Amino acid sequence: MSGEGAIIAEELVKVYGGKVRAVEGVSFTVRPGEIFGFLGPNGAGKTTTVTMLAAGLRPTSGQAIVDGVEVSRDPEEVKRRIGVIFQEGTADGDLTGRENLEVAAGCYGMSRSDGKERATELIDKMQLTDAADRYAKTYSGGMRRRLELAVGLIHRPRVLFLDEPTLGLDPQGRAGFWEFILSLRKETGMTVFVTTHYLDEADGMCERIAIIDHGRIAATGSPAELKDKLGGDVVTIRTSGPTPDVTPVLQAIRGVSSITKKDDTYRVKCMQGETFVPLAVEAASKAGVGVTGVSVKRPSLDEVFLEFTGREYRGEEGPTETDKAVMMGHIRQNLRGRR
Amino acid sequence: MLTELVALTRREFLKLARNPQAIFTSLLFPLVYLLLFGNGFNLNPLAELQNPTQAQISAALDFYFRGAPNYYSYFSAGMVGFVVVTSTLFIGANVIFDKLFGIFKRTRGTPAPSAAVFGSRLIAGAAQPIALAFLVLGLALLFAHIPGLNGLHVTQSITPLGAGEVLAAIVLLALMFATLFLTFGILLDVPQTYFAAVNLLNLPVLLTSDALYPWGTMPGWLQTISQYNPISLCVNVLRETFFGSAVYPYPPAIYLGGLLAWAAVLIGIALLLVRRALRPLE
Ligand SMILES: Nc1ncnc2c1ncn2[C@@H]1O[C@H](COP(=O)(O)OP(=O)(O)OP(=O)(O)O)[C@@H](O)[C@H]1O
Ligand SMILES: [Mg+2]
Repeated sequence: MSGEGAIIAEELVKVYGGKVRAVEGVSFTVRPGEIFGFLGPNGAGKTTTVTMLAAGLRPTSGQAIVDGVEVSRDPEEVKRRIGVIFQEGTADGDLTGRENLEVAAGCYGMSRSDGKERATELIDKMQLTDAADRYAKTYSGGMRRRLELAVGLIHRPRVLFLDEPTLGLDPQGRAGFWEFILSLRKETGMTVFVTTHYLDEADGMCERIAIIDHGRIAATGSPAELKDKLGGDVVTIRTSGPTPDVTPVLQAIRGVSSITKKDDTYRVKCMQGETFVPLAVEAASKAGVGVTGVSVKRPSLDEVFLEFTGREYRGEEGPTETDKAVMMGHIRQNLRGRR
Repeated sequence: MLTELVALTRREFLKLARNPQAIFTSLLFPLVYLLLFGNGFNLNPLAELQNPTQAQISAALDFYFRGAPNYYSYFSAGMVGFVVVTSTLFIGANVIFDKLFGIFKRTRGTPAPSAAVFGSRLIAGAAQPIALAFLVLGLALLFAHIPGLNGLHVTQSITPLGAGEVLAAIVLLALMFATLFLTFGILLDVPQTYFAAVNLLNLPVLLTSDALYPWGTMPGWLQTISQYNPISLCVNVLRETFFGSAVYPYPPAIYLGGLLAWAAVLIGIALLLVRRALRPLE
């Protein structure tokens, strides 16, 4: 039943302690080899969904199929096939990077020598060679994240779950991280499911995204499709004078959905800004109005996000996982400083 | 299963080796008791007897110390049980700290069987108290040869069977409490709650045993209770083996049996509780 999807979520529901309805009927399909972004405000239910897919939490109802295996039926087999990077750091500070990897290899049943070999390979790939035999508690945030990624990849998973993998990384760190994920996907054809708060990241890296809010999917599609749903681009045209009014002329051009005029400036919402602009200039000059300036604005995923969730940040709730992760980061930093 | 168990056990021992403070503290505790408490509290009932006969001496020793030649010898055997129980406390605390740092979640995210997750921690967590138990015995024996210090005087010759029974008693006591505290650690998430739970259990168990009290000074009701106390059962095996069985109603094997029964019940309950918590899918 799972032929087309590397990850299939069917009406997943999670109610914590009979009260907190964290996820309320989430369905989607992630295609094999796809990079799928899962976006949503704090507390939307991203981590809860990932944890259910990664066999870490039993859904209250609904089902998940990962790499052809029904999660509730054979969670251990699912765990064998997937890699997970948890939102909060999970590196073992008292162990060296290499030991972290070797222990993980053992947990996947790899022999000692296979584990050592694979650890060295990943240390190389993650550019942790110089730090490999240092305790992980001495690592910088970026190094920790790379180590955690390496741990998640130790057994060559077919599906990789990343829960806010670039949280707290600097721009170079984020870029490097994604570069690695992309090359890995190219190499192995691995499916990647990623939650993130960084919309530019999702825009650039994900083939498709789903936006979750209040435990429900608000929208699904490629970044371009979702932007189109907003009604396309916004073109601003400044003309030589407020009269004559060229609104009817512009309105007649194909793909235009709305126009607002203020003095000599027209704000036009249309499907494709680039093709609209030359037509608009031509039509305006025919009507005797000169065009003195034009700008085309593509909606960013930020606008999509705002459109579908109605807000940027949900402040009324208790500490979210993000807050906790950041807090744990501070605690670690302090512990590290003191030793 | 074995690969996972070996990998995770190695991890536990690496962690242990890298935490010298914890090792130091766990060493300090029995050392202070052996040096200070054992010497400071050195009750001597013989001092009150004037020109005692041999029979009076041995009657007094039997009454107060159940045949041990002095309080320190009696006490240091008891310290073994005491140390085994108090030093198993780390095992559950480590789980809770690993939970706080996400490390436990990481391990649970792998297909490593629950038995390997539990077993690795049990092995490492029981090894420490067992090692400490033998350290206490070794130190107490050594102190007997240092002038000015009290020490453990073994009055019987130890047979291989006797040595085996002593080892079995120590291992059983360590496994029993390690399993119990490990279960607490797995079921609880907050360090404060854990330490409260452990203390709630530890203190009554320790203080209803005859590990530290001279037997003859205990009231009858406490003597009765202490006979069923697992620490007493372990310590009885040691004392009977070291100082002779004259005052003991049963041979060491019976006390071992009692210890085994305790272990079976406690480990059974613990595994039942922990099985739910460690299911592959929570
Ligand atoms: N163990 C839990 N018990 C009770 N409620 C929980 C638990 N875990 C999460 N929740 C609640 O469920 C909701 C969804 O949480 P979740 O962690 O899945 O959100 P998220 O989208 O990952 O948020 P963030 O962006 O902050 O990581 C939140 O309201 C949260 O408070
Ligand atoms: Mg989250």
